[in-house]
Amino acid sequence: MASVAEVRAAVDAALQQVTEGQAAIQAAREKLGEAQQSLAAALDGSANDAVGAAHASLSQADQQLEECLGATLLAVEQAQTYTATL
Amino acid sequence: MLQELGAQLRATSDELPTGLVSVAMERLRSATELLNWVRQTSVDPIGVPQLSNATEHAEHAAAALRLAQDAIAAYLAGLGLAAEAGAPPDGDYKAGLKEQEPAAAPEQHERQPPPEQLGPWWRARVEQLTGEAPPPPQQGGAPPERPANTAELLRRVAAGVRSGDRARLGRDLHGVNAATGLGLSAVTSPVLRRLAGDLLGHEPGPDDLQRLRGAAGGRVRSLLPGTPPAVLDTLLARICRTPQAEQTPAHPADSAVTASVLTGVLLARLGRDPETLDPGAPEPLRPRGVDA
Repeated sequence: MASVAEVRAAVDAALQQVTEGQAAIQAAREKLGEAQQSLAAALDGSANDAVGAAHASLSQADQQLEECLGATLLAVEQAQTYTATL
Repeated sequence: MLQELGAQLRATSDELPTGLVSVAMERLRSATELLNWVRQTSVDPIGVPQLSNATEHAEHAAAALRLAQDAIAAYLAGLGLAAEAGAPPDGDYKAGLKEQEPAAAPEQHERQPPPEQLGPWWRARVEQLTGEAPPPPQQGGAPPERPANTAELLRRVAAGVRSGDRARLGRDLHGVNAATGLGLSAVTSPVLRRLAGDLLGHEPGPDDLQRLRGAAGGRVRSLLPGTPPAVLDTLLARICRTPQAEQTPAHPADSAVTASVLTGVLLARLGRDPETLDPGAPEPLRPRGVDA
């Protein structure tokens, strides 16, 4: 059976992983924004279906990353609430 | 003009952050694994459902990025540039091996204490897995050189596996703090799938489970005599994308350590140097299938 100190430390280690994940998500969103701009500049006004699909997929990816980040914030809050009760 | 447009679009496609999203997914999975272990002692969900939700969103983001790449490729094909639109080198598996910059932490993390109370917990488990006791504290002289980060630890573990030196393996694993060691879970996951694919000559699937077990199982067990068989089975099942039976969450250190040794074994089977895991190293040639 793990001790309270071990449980607390394991949660902290998990939170460290989450923090690194959040940093990767934030960096991904920045790169995604650059890609959206680059695509828009290269194909300004194109009505091609594939271009439309590319734009839509990039927007979808960004939205998913935003929701991902939001979910991690909730997870961190809940884990911290738990460790506060130990 | 058309060629320039093609080059620009290919660059945009190649630079989409698939690697970063992959890193995020693995970090979140690793965190979930740790919290699942903690949950065995608590009825509190401790954020696990939210983390699972976050991982799912990251998976959807990764899928959307692939769709965007496909759409750009389709557009290029429509312009008659398909032949030049070769697939970018698959370097995503190395994304997690790059040294992480200090995380730009959201506000709530600023209150977080450093996760370094797990040292004895980590070393006790490493001893159980490897059968190697922690080295005694240094009496004077220079302290032993320690891996600076998880990626470096993985290269050291791989070197220890290659030399078949269990004592060295134990020293390297004992020599890091728990956070660095536990990070092996996240870093190894995409690397393992890539190495297994190179060994098999194709993307690993459920039919490859036995072959991989035969290629790596014995060596992993000899270097980690204390690792529960279910841990290796779970790792191999993940590589082969095989559904796993519901089981008690493994000790997080078991997954991390076993995954790193399995990485070393697969590298050795491919005849590759551990330094090929350096993110700056040239991409190794993908064999057409090595006899596993």
